[in-house]
Amino acid sequence: MKKHQITGLIVFFLLLGWHVAAQVIQRFPRPDFESGYVTPETLQPGARAGFLELVDLLVLIAAISVTSWAVLKRRSRLLVFWISMFSLAYFGFYREGCVCSIGSIQNVTLAIFSGGYRIPLTVLAFFLIPLVFTLAFGRTFCAGVCPFGALQDLVSFKPLKLDYRINAALDIIPYLYLGLAVLYAATGTDFIICRYDPFVGIFRINATVGMFVFAGILLLSGIFIARPYCRFLCPYGVILNWISRFSWKHLTITPSVCVQCRLCEDSCPYEAIVKPGPWKNPESRRTMVRKFLSGVVLIPVFIFLGGWTGSLLHESLARVNGKVRLAEELLYPAKRLQSPETKELIAFKASGKPAQELYVEATEILNRFYTGGWILGGFIGLAIGAFLLGKLFSRHRTDYEPNRGACFSCARCIDYCPVQS
Amino acid sequence: MDTQSTRIPLISLLRKIALICGVFAAIICILVIVNYIQLKRIDPLNTPVMASLQERLKQNPGDDSLRTEIRELDLLARKAFFTSQWQVRMGGYLLLGSVLIIVICLKWIELIRPNIPPIPFPEKDTFWSHRMIRRKWITYTALLIVSGGLLLAFLTYRDLGKSLNSLETTLANQADSVTPVKKEKAVAASQVILADTPRSRDTVVATAPALPEQKFPTRQEILRNSATFRGPDGTGIVAQTNFPVRWNGITGDHILWRTEIPLPGFNSPVVWNNRIFLSGANTTTREIFCFDAGSGKLLWKTDVSEVPGTPGTVPKVDPQTGFAASTMTTDGQRVYAIFATGDLIALRMDGSRAWAQNLGLPANHYGHSSSLIMFRDLLIVQLDQQSGSAVIAFDGSTGKQVWKTNRNVRVSWASPILANTGEQTELILVADPIVASYDPATGAELWQVDCISGEVGPSVAFAGGMVFAVNEYSKLAAIRPGEPRQVAWESTDYLSDIPSPVANEKYLFLPTSYGTFVCYEANTGRQLWVKELERPTYASPMLADGNIYQLDKSGIMHIFTADSLGTPVAESPLGEGSVCTPAFSNRRIYIRGEKHLFCIK
Repeated sequence: MKKHQITGLIVFFLLLGWHVAAQVIQRFPRPDFESGYVTPETLQPGARAGFLELVDLLVLIAAISVTSWAVLKRRSRLLVFWISMFSLAYFGFYREGCVCSIGSIQNVTLAIFSGGYRIPLTVLAFFLIPLVFTLAFGRTFCAGVCPFGALQDLVSFKPLKLDYRINAALDIIPYLYLGLAVLYAATGTDFIICRYDPFVGIFRINATVGMFVFAGILLLSGIFIARPYCRFLCPYGVILNWISRFSWKHLTITPSVCVQCRLCEDSCPYEAIVKPGPWKNPESRRTMVRKFLSGVVLIPVFIFLGGWTGSLLHESLARVNGKVRLAEELLYPAKRLQSPETKELIAFKASGKPAQELYVEATEILNRFYTGGWILGGFIGLAIGAFLLGKLFSRHRTDYEPNRGACFSCARCIDYCPVQS
Repeated sequence: MDTQSTRIPLISLLRKIALICGVFAAIICILVIVNYIQLKRIDPLNTPVMASLQERLKQNPGDDSLRTEIRELDLLARKAFFTSQWQVRMGGYLLLGSVLIIVICLKWIELIRPNIPPIPFPEKDTFWSHRMIRRKWITYTALLIVSGGLLLAFLTYRDLGKSLNSLETTLANQADSVTPVKKEKAVAASQVILADTPRSRDTVVATAPALPEQKFPTRQEILRNSATFRGPDGTGIVAQTNFPVRWNGITGDHILWRTEIPLPGFNSPVVWNNRIFLSGANTTTREIFCFDAGSGKLLWKTDVSEVPGTPGTVPKVDPQTGFAASTMTTDGQRVYAIFATGDLIALRMDGSRAWAQNLGLPANHYGHSSSLIMFRDLLIVQLDQQSGSAVIAFDGSTGKQVWKTNRNVRVSWASPILANTGEQTELILVADPIVASYDPATGAELWQVDCISGEVGPSVAFAGGMVFAVNEYSKLAAIRPGEPRQVAWESTDYLSDIPSPVANEKYLFLPTSYGTFVCYEANTGRQLWVKELERPTYASPMLADGNIYQLDKSGIMHIFTADSLGTPVAESPLGEGSVCTPAFSNRRIYIRGEKHLFCIK
């Protein structure tokens, strides 16, 4: 049996076993304690003492600093690998994936849009510190600190080259995910990044079936497609991608002058190495200018079209909100008759709260989603327009270089370069 | 030593370890899955044996040996279940451990024997052709997203917002139409209580015939505005969200406008749509003011004079109460005000007089200060005085008395609140010596609890069915829901004589006039935190956006989270002193300062 087949089977067993272990916990209904004790939610771990939060922060800073040093100065893939293993153990299994920079996008959004929510300083720091380091040294956070990336790296045994057309299509997904996460956080509906986080279930050995299935798909595909979550889903990666393009010092494949040996050409499992070129554009300058101008004109059209679609979708998007769902359930009893009343509806009826109040709240939420739908759609339209426009031009390169936006600074390519100093 | 020769045995060893761990993981996995399936099939609490034993116990309830047998069986079943659960969990950990070893072995092999990729064949320059194809694929994806979105919207769109709006209006109308029925029932019930029980101190003096049909505000309108002292229902809880937390009245930061108030008064602003109402009075003049919410411009002011029955002499009032301490109220058609002279007046929204009458000079040694409140189209006045205390409801459109309930209480300065208990709306009042609840439609007393004493100034707080009353030199009393109403817990640590408490489902927040702010656990009375605001506080706190807004006498708004921590959010100065409770509406806060009305956005 080949190595990657064994690994695939093992990962499958692992996930199946974890799923089973997690499901057993849910067999008994949660008891209602007369003392008023409320069973904690398992969505996120309990509150952490102040000094331990500080420790987390210091570990984060130390881990990114050491990773940046390992990538830029020491140029050691092995060191980066061991730091990522430490991060997987600390931020993943010990801290159970929370607090997490990816999820912190939602806290920041909620703090901006809701006057009633004050973002904890630790969460804000977890959001900002990787951005600052990325601006300075590229995506070293992704390379050595993010436990999600580390976990995927661990199972990336046989990375295959993904077809460039599929790559192009999948590149849009993180923008969509980012937009949705911001929309739901801004409307106070839900933290979808956390709710559908594929890996925290593994870190906590406790998750829903859906989360385990999602994690299983990602890890199994991660054997052949390196870091699928980071490349085609991660909403924080979108922001890091933008910032990394302007990074002050970024990883270079060669420490000196590229000798064009082509040894590194296929070394990057994330396909983030840009080859020398382009040499000659077959299209005339006139055609290019025309295309560029068309693109510039079309971007507002894309924004409007996206916004319009988003506004039409606002009801569907708003149904994720519990109050809207409850109001709809009350509103359409015929639909409700097809299935038993939900627990939420039973609880609402028992609360004695007037239906009008619920309808008022649901209407306000719907209005927020209408505006949010326009903004979300417009954002996606803008991203697509920018993608199309970006594909019209390219800077001429003479050496093999990392794509600053997409490169995770994992330092794999360094090992392939024969130039040592 | 030759590196290559040491590597080969190591790789072989690592492979063997990985293989052994793989087999171990597979066995564990199978065992865990089998165990899990067994657990899924077994319902330890509902086995046939248990059901049979329980049935036998029902037939022989006195059989102690059977009861013991059931308990032992139940314990055994639970033990077996939890043991299996523990086994599954341990299996999960073993699985995790073995897989980790496999991954480590494989990674180790990868590290010591790196897989150097072959140098690819030189490709022809496909850069631009690939770029063109990428553009196409991006376009296809965009089209897929848009068409998928449109399809989803087409399949699921129901114009939910419009439906919710129309249904909300329909429900409000339905609720209005059933009022007379409820009223008759409540009157009958109250008469029975009055005849049979000596505990009631009150007498229903008069009841009115069915109310004339007319429009009054929907619940949505009430929640959107701030038509009463301490917001909708007078409970201090704001239903709307997104209110500012930081402003500076000195620099003008976040101050939308500031307008001088022509006459003094300690009443709070009343907000209805784009209009703000205040009253002011001195020894010679009583006036009502209407300001534009957008600009702060004084739209009109109406002189309250020539009210039939007004006493020729002005009453003696305390300077801290004044002649216009009672906050006005409105139903969107008229605004209502009461003064220390006992003048009760209704003005239309354009400032013209609808009706006015004098209730008699209130026998109140500090000056009348109870605020007005509306229930549907009834204007409710709490008139607690040294003798002849009563709560009276007037028809808002005509000023005719609809009902009056005498109250055997001493003079008070608190204001009424409306509390939705789930079964009905109650009108809750506090005065020495009782907290009492009335049916606001009929005036019939629903319950009373003897728990308070002294010169009661703070109004009650209500949340989650609990009523909280407090007074200086008396106590803080929490009255639990249920029949009969009883005091759940009491405290005398911190007491208030002017500002009122506010509560949510979990916590009670109590300010004191000497600047201490305390949070209690609502159900138990456990003190959670105490804050020293360091300045006197006369204004009552408001609960909005999950925050407590407490204005101190110097004009600084202390904002902290309405939770078990009370984390400070902001301290925002107004720039002038204030003793008035702020009004919250449509993302704006309106505060009456000593001389100016402020709008904060």
